[in-house]
Amino acid sequence: MTHEGATGPVAPTLTAVVTRRDERRVAPRPVGTGWRQRLEIVMFVSPALALMAVFVLWPVISAVRMSFYRWKGFGPMDQWVGLDNYRLVLQDEVFTDAVMHNFTIVVLSILIQLPLGLGLALLLNRRIRGRGLLRTIVFVPYVVAEVIAGVVWFQLLQPQYGVIDTVLTNIGITPPEQGFLGTPELALPTVFVVLTWKYLGLAVLLFLAGLQGVPDELYEAAQLDGASWWQTQRSVAIPLIGPTIRTWAFLSIIGSLQQFDMIWVLTHGGPANRTTTMATYLVEQGTERGNYGIAGAASVLLFVIAFVTAVAYQVVVMRRDTAVQR
Amino acid sequence: MRSKTRRAALAALCAGALTLTAAACGSDDDSSEDGSGTTITWWHNSNNEPGMGYYEKVAKDFEADNPGVNIEIQAMAHEDMVSKLAAGFQSGDIPDVYMERGGGELADHVEAGMVRDISDAASEEIEKIGGSVAGWQVDGKTYALPFSLGVVGFWYNTELFEQAGITAPPTTLTELGDVVAQLEDAGIDPISVGAGDKWPAAHYWYYTALRECSEEVLTDAVTSLDFSDPCFVKAGEDVETILGWEPFNPGFLTTPAQEGATSASGLLATGKVAMEMQGHWEPGVMQGLTDDGKGLGDKTGWFPFPAVDGGAGDPAAALGGGDAWAVSEEAPDEAVEFVKYLLSDEVQIGFAENSMGLPTNSAASDSVADPALAGLLEVRDAAPYVQLYFDTAFGTSVGGAMNDEIALLFAGEASPEDVVEATQAAADQES
Amino acid sequence: MTQQKKAFGAGGPVVYVLALVVVALTLGPVLYGALGGFRSNEQLAADPAGLPDPWVFTNYSEVVTNSEFWRYALNSTVVALITTVVAVLAGVMAAYPLARYQFRGREGLYMVFVLGLLFPAAVAIIPLFILVTRDLQLGNTWWGVALPQAAFALPITVVILRPFLMALPRELEEAALIDGASRVGIFWRLALPLSMPALVTVGVLAFVTSWNAYLLPLLLLQEDMRTLPLGVADYSTEHSADTAGVLAFTTIAMIPALILFLAMQRRIVGGLTGAVKG
Repeated sequence: MTHEGATGPVAPTLTAVVTRRDERRVAPRPVGTGWRQRLEIVMFVSPALALMAVFVLWPVISAVRMSFYRWKGFGPMDQWVGLDNYRLVLQDEVFTDAVMHNFTIVVLSILIQLPLGLGLALLLNRRIRGRGLLRTIVFVPYVVAEVIAGVVWFQLLQPQYGVIDTVLTNIGITPPEQGFLGTPELALPTVFVVLTWKYLGLAVLLFLAGLQGVPDELYEAAQLDGASWWQTQRSVAIPLIGPTIRTWAFLSIIGSLQQFDMIWVLTHGGPANRTTTMATYLVEQGTERGNYGIAGAASVLLFVIAFVTAVAYQVVVMRRDTAVQR
Repeated sequence: MRSKTRRAALAALCAGALTLTAAACGSDDDSSEDGSGTTITWWHNSNNEPGMGYYEKVAKDFEADNPGVNIEIQAMAHEDMVSKLAAGFQSGDIPDVYMERGGGELADHVEAGMVRDISDAASEEIEKIGGSVAGWQVDGKTYALPFSLGVVGFWYNTELFEQAGITAPPTTLTELGDVVAQLEDAGIDPISVGAGDKWPAAHYWYYTALRECSEEVLTDAVTSLDFSDPCFVKAGEDVETILGWEPFNPGFLTTPAQEGATSASGLLATGKVAMEMQGHWEPGVMQGLTDDGKGLGDKTGWFPFPAVDGGAGDPAAALGGGDAWAVSEEAPDEAVEFVKYLLSDEVQIGFAENSMGLPTNSAASDSVADPALAGLLEVRDAAPYVQLYFDTAFGTSVGGAMNDEIALLFAGEASPEDVVEATQAAADQES
Repeated sequence: MTQQKKAFGAGGPVVYVLALVVVALTLGPVLYGALGGFRSNEQLAADPAGLPDPWVFTNYSEVVTNSEFWRYALNSTVVALITTVVAVLAGVMAAYPLARYQFRGREGLYMVFVLGLLFPAAVAIIPLFILVTRDLQLGNTWWGVALPQAAFALPITVVILRPFLMALPRELEEAALIDGASRVGIFWRLALPLSMPALVTVGVLAFVTSWNAYLLPLLLLQEDMRTLPLGVADYSTEHSADTAGVLAFTTIAMIPALILFLAMQRRIVGGLTGAVKG
């Protein structure tokens, strides 16, 4: 089936490296002589590479270098400590807990945001009145700046005086005494609810895009066979957008591992370090404590963890796309 | 090493370029086109009225008296200023005149060669300020002039205290417990604390440590970074006692210190809690948090942190700290003159009249408009010694680890021993 | 589409109820902010969950007559535009050979961009700050913020554009080649116009990301160079007693990005469809 080969925006990425399967899609016919093509490639790619080298690669290399020194953030960087910073970070319970929180968000995103986002996308793919408006509304939180969303949610979640607590009290439910963000056990779930509110729009957006690629004839065929709407979705639409789902999951995993803005605005990692992430840990160690070496080590570890997870995901999950294609 | 040589080259470049333009070094503006003009960049954190307007006027007055000098002010929220200063120190791009909090942080900045030694240039002012300047001296040299030095204590709402039938502020920890019980019986949330920002919670531990430990032990700890004395564990136990009363506002673990009406300061300012332990800046903060701009107004009361039975510390000793104006190494000489002007009788009197803090120039002592601040000034001057906030004194690294663990103590997830251990562990990393 | 099909995919009452719940949950917080801006602080304090009664318009009128607000909005707009143009242009140029040329090291080159996805800006924020202010002397300028932002937007841009460009029909290209067009000519006259939907998609993503950015502008921009999110953060601390005013300010600050997204929404879905179909 033609659409089995569909991959998401990211899907061809790592897989492509492993399998080189994309080659069959591209005209294998070189144009012009070798040097001419090389010149063209250089011309096309160099602005992007230059930008990446200067503003991404160089700062990242600096962070790596930083991770081998004890450095307060100013003055000469001359106190070499080898791998000491890495040892400190890995032995720091705050960091290991932060890694746990990151992966909790990863797992919850897949378990909760996937069905929710898929359900919403299917709903919005129906021919209901006001569909265009609905689609727009679902994307609204995704467009709102984290700082702005944080300010508003922080107001909503105020213990006692906030809207949510007021409403709960009015309908006879006693809100947690310390507030949703102030109770250690509830803080991470609460943050996750806000994250879901903020980022679900992206899932819906991608799934909708995927669903648009499902040809009408398939629905019609299923319908002629007497399948109900839901059966059609389950047996036709969802399998077909499988690659899109896996792509979203990939983006979601990477995003969850790098989570920073929203949590920083809402809790700063508190209460009692229950909502820390690797990124809040490294910013806290760097800009707040002046332990730039430790921050550097933490950022290298964050990268390694993200990289390993991404590769593992590609190997285990994305391979299916390739396998089907072969 | 590469960064070292580049930095050195830049420093040399800056020194040479100083007379031509300050644009590339220390300040990032280029508005001083005419050769005679000098631009001084100045960062401060009085971004509320009346402080913001007052500082604009001060800068204008200085410009009028010193033709050719142009002062570029940046008023920003305290937290923003701290993070921007940190980034500035990292890149070497700090403003000409900025705030130093003293202690370990200043020592680091001095070691990196970024702060100007003003011992000689400002000798007159240093003498006038007296002993308070000690927190901003490194190896006997003065690097900044404190313009406000305050002490931490309990700010309270006199009306709510009356309502709960409390006749006199508590003087011992036991009495504080009674006051909390009385307030709770009257249906009033007793204390607000911005534990979300950690340091307001940490101040409780600092104060109990100040009461439990003798001055010698504390002075020694600041230099040796040795926390083995049992008094530090006792300090944590005292904090646990306080926590046992459950005196704090709902949600205190994520309550911010002073941002917004639902912050710890906001709760006190709007009459939702009876008291809060905070620094001298509290009345000013509360003014910014109320619609009428008056804060608690006439209802403002203050009492010092109570004595602790059996503690080795002096019950009159105070925890405090302040802000000082420092001049960056690369700043023009006029910046030093400007800092001296900021400490002049005239400016300090205006500072006091606007209730922006506790002036360090004794000429301004009688001008403090706010009665609560005036009272605080007396307490400060009567205290046998003022202990600089531990996190400032120990530096950001040890201080941060300590504050973190105290915040965990507040959340019931760390023991008094854990606080000492975590602090010691961070301190051992320093050496 | 047929009449019959319409009935098949249409929703019953349950669907509409579900849709309403989703709308309420999604828009609730935003409406709370917007409506809160129409209330006075006394109203907010008395009943946090109430509706404006009476409606207060001064909060909003104060924001839109505030010259600082317009200054921030201008900065946000310029920074976001530069970011978008640089990211999209450099991105599509890089994605083109990666999609339509055969050469050794192509996947390796592509890998560079994919790896870029794995770096959060927070990792490199301090070195980035030194680089921009010290070495490039671009501190407190529009370009100083826009260029790093464009660089960080490049990976996702390339990753979305490449499959889209790959999917362009080969026949068109071949026809153009027969007509004597060069590859560069094909890029400008064929690939660019044809990939417009995808370009709009990555453009809007880059624009919105830049519009919402906080950490980097915070470190790099001062005074009247600041962008709206910094303005919001400043405003909410400077006027922290004035909750209603803060809500009005935040509400107005989110409008431009919302309008842009609304206007482009159809194209974005179209653009992603292309990318997703690969």
